[in-house]
Amino acid sequence: MPRVLIIDDDRDLLNVCRVGLEALDHEVLTASNAHDGLAEASIRAPDVIVLDLGLPDMDGVEVMKRIRTWSAVPVVVLSADGSEDRKVDALADGADDYMTKPFGMRELNARLQVALRHHATAGEESSAIDVGQLHLDLAHCEAFLGGRPLDLTLREFDFLAYLARNAGKVCTRRMILENVWGPAYAKEMHYLKVYAYRIRRKLGDESGRFLQSDPSVGYRLMPPGEGGAG
Amino acid sequence: MRRTLPGTAAALACMALLTAVMLPLRDSVSIATTALVLVVPVVIGVVTGGFAAGVISVCAGFLVYDYFFIPPYLTLDVGAPQNWVALGVYVIIMLPVARVVAGMDISRARELRQGRELRELFELSDLLVEDKPLDVLLTVIVTTLADVSGARQVALFLPAADSARPGAENQRLELAASVGEPLSDEQLRGVLPAPGALMSLKPHSPERSALTVIALTASGRPVGLLALSADAAAHHEREPLLLFVNHIALAVERAQLREQAMRTRVNEEMARLAKTLVAAVAHHLRAPLASLKASSSTLADTELNIGQEARQRLAGTIDVQADRLADMVGSLLDMSRIQAGVLQPRCTVAAPGTLISGVLDDPPPTWREYEIRTEVPADLPPIDADLVLVSRVLANLVDNAVRHSPPGTPVTIRAELRPTGDTIEISVTDSGPGVVPARREEIFELFPRRQHDAGAGLGLTIAKTFVEAHGQRIWVEDAPGGGARFCFTLPVAAAIPEESRLAASTHH
Repeated sequence: MPRVLIIDDDRDLLNVCRVGLEALDHEVLTASNAHDGLAEASIRAPDVIVLDLGLPDMDGVEVMKRIRTWSAVPVVVLSADGSEDRKVDALADGADDYMTKPFGMRELNARLQVALRHHATAGEESSAIDVGQLHLDLAHCEAFLGGRPLDLTLREFDFLAYLARNAGKVCTRRMILENVWGPAYAKEMHYLKVYAYRIRRKLGDESGRFLQSDPSVGYRLMPPGEGGAG
Repeated sequence: MRRTLPGTAAALACMALLTAVMLPLRDSVSIATTALVLVVPVVIGVVTGGFAAGVISVCAGFLVYDYFFIPPYLTLDVGAPQNWVALGVYVIIMLPVARVVAGMDISRARELRQGRELRELFELSDLLVEDKPLDVLLTVIVTTLADVSGARQVALFLPAADSARPGAENQRLELAASVGEPLSDEQLRGVLPAPGALMSLKPHSPERSALTVIALTASGRPVGLLALSADAAAHHEREPLLLFVNHIALAVERAQLREQAMRTRVNEEMARLAKTLVAAVAHHLRAPLASLKASSSTLADTELNIGQEARQRLAGTIDVQADRLADMVGSLLDMSRIQAGVLQPRCTVAAPGTLISGVLDDPPPTWREYEIRTEVPADLPPIDADLVLVSRVLANLVDNAVRHSPPGTPVTIRAELRPTGDTIEISVTDSGPGVVPARREEIFELFPRRQHDAGAGLGLTIAKTFVEAHGQRIWVEDAPGGGARFCFTLPVAAAIPEESRLAASTHH
């Protein structure tokens, strides 16, 4: 039974999430401020954390940073105002995913599942990555979709490999540009649109269900069958 | 002419007196001396009655001199030739004397008038540099000009508001301020000719209805037209007035620019407010929506295995949050009406205890986990306030206290008479973490300064708006035993014992 810690200052929302997630076979811990949340996170060692960015006693992004100093636990951030900058900040500081209030219980559960799975596979350094039908041979820079070789340029392969290594996790545009193109390209946001378009065509994924994008936040390679909104 | 009659009378009276005194002595005093004495009434006549009175005095003096003092007495005959000389010298000297004295008098009067005009113009210049709304300034200008110039009609024309934008074509002038008789249609046509109409530019029209029209310009730009009825021009010098036209033009232009800048600022502020208001409202409405959506989506999911008790709790949450949303929307509407000045508090007189018990009568479920204490002295005077609005204030403060305190802790509502005796202070004390001094102002604001700030919700903003609509104050301070103490004041009902008792009893 996965253990979920929810940190949010809205007690009503905490109670509802407890009922809903317990019905979905989670063990639920709650905290209504950053101080209690950090204490729970360190003592009870949750498997996944849901963190609201608008806490009364500390900036949610700061809480995110502190968690990352000692733990790689997956974190899904909640934002009430839909402010893109803050989501991007939290993702850059190590959050795995984000959700905007209000959200349904199914969606929350789906995101938690993705985050848990990503966490389970992360850290395994190998020369090949599989995400659903996609197989990437990192040693030879070759990509296969359902056994069929894909004709990718080197940069397209690097882009796809970066997302595959973080499959399920939202990667901000800056993170991708810095890791794939190099720090000097951190502001060349339009590169990503062009490359994502080309890769989607080669993957036969014009609708963007597999290579998901949020125009103002970033990209994510979503393992098939895990749904979730992009 | 008004002065001539009393002046003449004074001169004649003086002459009669002097004649009476001199008559017994006329044989021992020389004829020349008598002539000198008779100068006195003439001078008196001129000074008090002007030149005309002076001339009459001279004639009278001539007759008196000849009749009483030149032998043969009591006839108009003149005997000896040297007597002719004395009489002639008297008349010849007296006429220029009257002329000179009268001239001095006239120039003194003119100096006085000019001094007064100058003073009035200086006063006007003082008024012109003050920061006044345009319409007040224009009224001051026309009134002062009418006083100074003595014109029956003074009117000021400015470009019409809709054509006043710089660069606007077809600038149309319209009457901005006037004093005295309203301008006739004919006069108006003269100042503001219809397009294509022929205009005479002849400077001085003999007609009484003619107007002197002066263009107001500031740094070469046209500002407006000043029209004065011509009757004033005929009597007084216009120079100080004309010198002043430039000042008037500058002052009018300055006031126009100031109003324009102010309008721009107000518009910008409104646009900014509207934008942030939408953002803030969306932000605050999301909180209850989040609970609603999470609850309803859980209940609606048939695959979820939720117990009966949990179902009840979710349904309860939906109910409470829907109420919270409805309250919030209602309060937001009231708040915007108050801020727009549409909604005024409907004050009634009531006991503070009634207000507090009314709020605690039907507590929302979230309050039930807390021990809510009240400290209300029985001898408090009644308050004069809108009970609906103030109940909302108190409920929001209790709600805020409950939200920030650990369950089971006490929340204290206290009412007390302030030392000044004219307001009652109501406070809500909680056992929460308190509010750091730096945030004590901003937690009442609709828009938390820090974007990520959860804020205290709309409740405190609404409370502040409602309290301030009563002209009262709301603030937060440290509670003695830790926690926050939110306080607001309410006015004590005016001490008219019969009426206040009546109002308090009829309201409930």
